[in-house]
Amino acid sequence: MKNKKIRDSWGSRIGIIMAVAGSAVGLGNFLRFPVQAARNGGGAFMIPYFVALLLVGIPIMWVEWAIGRYGGGFEHSTAPGAFHSLWEKNRFVKYFGVIGIFGPMVIMIYYTYIESWCLAYSFFALVQKYSGILDQSSMLAFLKGFQGLTSNRYFSSIVPAYIFFLITFAVNMIVLKHGIRGGIERFCKFALPTLLIFGVILVIRVLTLGTPDPGKPTWSILNGLGYLWNPDLSQLRSGKIWLAATGQIFFTLSVGIGVIVTYASYLKRGDDVTLSGLTAVSMNEFAEILLGGSIIIPAAFVFFGPVIIGDVANSGAFNLGFVTMPLIFGHMPFSEVLGFLWFTLLFLAGVTSSVSLSQPAVAFLEDEFDISRERAVAMFGVVTFVLCNGAIFFLGKGVVDELDFWGGTFCLVLFATIEVILFGWIFGIEKAWEEVHHGADMRIPGIYKFIIKYVTPLFLLVVLFTWFFQEWLPIIRMDNVSAESRPYVLATRIGLCLLFLTLAILVKIAWRKRKNKGKPA
Amino acid sequence: MTTLGWIFISVSWSLILGLTAFCFYKILKKKKLD
Repeated sequence: MKNKKIRDSWGSRIGIIMAVAGSAVGLGNFLRFPVQAARNGGGAFMIPYFVALLLVGIPIMWVEWAIGRYGGGFEHSTAPGAFHSLWEKNRFVKYFGVIGIFGPMVIMIYYTYIESWCLAYSFFALVQKYSGILDQSSMLAFLKGFQGLTSNRYFSSIVPAYIFFLITFAVNMIVLKHGIRGGIERFCKFALPTLLIFGVILVIRVLTLGTPDPGKPTWSILNGLGYLWNPDLSQLRSGKIWLAATGQIFFTLSVGIGVIVTYASYLKRGDDVTLSGLTAVSMNEFAEILLGGSIIIPAAFVFFGPVIIGDVANSGAFNLGFVTMPLIFGHMPFSEVLGFLWFTLLFLAGVTSSVSLSQPAVAFLEDEFDISRERAVAMFGVVTFVLCNGAIFFLGKGVVDELDFWGGTFCLVLFATIEVILFGWIFGIEKAWEEVHHGADMRIPGIYKFIIKYVTPLFLLVVLFTWFFQEWLPIIRMDNVSAESRPYVLATRIGLCLLFLTLAILVKIAWRKRKNKGKPA
Repeated sequence: MTTLGWIFISVSWSLILGLTAFCFYKILKKKKLD
């Protein structure tokens, strides 16, 4: 065992909790959650939301922490190795684990670009670049001009957006280069508390808005909160609201991606996973329900009223974040400071997520090919930089939506289903239960043994098969894609297949190398 | 904001704040014992 490379590790328990929570707290907490809740029954949305959290989110979180720590014991930081450790006799299971590197890499390709918009807008807030814009259509034109989708009086080219993308990409690579303890942990320990403080300041500001226009007494902050929280219980009968809530839980907790498996692989064998996992969930939910649910929709209601707010909520999360919010801040004193806090909060939430999305691929190169951290980050950086350009320059051609569907939706459910079945059924629930509780600071209620073995996999299989039978044909045929965008969407699909194939081949090579060196699987 | 709205927001906030407080209490208690 001489010349053995020492694996990186977490410096403290709070470090990994911050990193996992940082991975989970992202743009979705502040933009996606309030929109989903407002569209799906308001307060009633919280019933399926909490059910999905208890039956799907928290169990998968514990499963991923346990799988990651178990795989780390065999010097595997990513899902292919972790899956192989769980089912050593099966030669093919490692290829299912490829999804745990492929999925986060695909999300990272477009997420970094969206993150860079937040950095740009925080800068624009400080220099008051959009302060003179007072209506939705002009602010939308500002956003489209910035994205390079049109040339207008605000922006004549995509160059400013590209510069902010380069800065954002560089920030991500610098954090990654410094490793788990010196880079990701250090950054998350600063970024997560900072963004939570910014969030609390914004919530206090919004909740103290009162009734800004005395001529419109119903446009009050209490009615704004009511718009989001008054329950429409009749919607609970619709399957749509249950699917939306489950999707939101997946999205918000960063489960089913492969990131938590990788982060937990740097734990020591005797480290706790039950309490740490639950703490990361609680921090994410704090950011989502208390902060995310109290800023954007109530503030928009106060300034735009009950009629327009419906259109605003239905216009999507990005419009709400990048079009409506700057206009809302424009109505308040110190608009530049509030705008800066809002977009910096989103930027920090984005970076803590995107570094986590990059870590599986970097860790795979490091651990399975014995490549140094610097080289692994450089190789990953070059490949993803090239791929990011596709998302930037073909934004209006459906490329980002396509990447989001396969990387950020389909792979999530598929990967979660595979890992839960693998852990509860192949590895065996008794062994799995023992593994989860090894070094645990908290006993999980016994009912979760039943939930992890039966309820969670069944729930996921129902979602997967329902989707398959209802949606696969229109998606494959690209029914919802415009004729103009089809060649780009098709090219994206071919690119994704090639990326998956390349990763699978790399896994095969890595295992051959491992075997030749006489290392255990 | 209706009464039901108040109930939903209060219950949701209490659940999350309670869970967060419980987790950090357990972590800090454990740290003290170590």
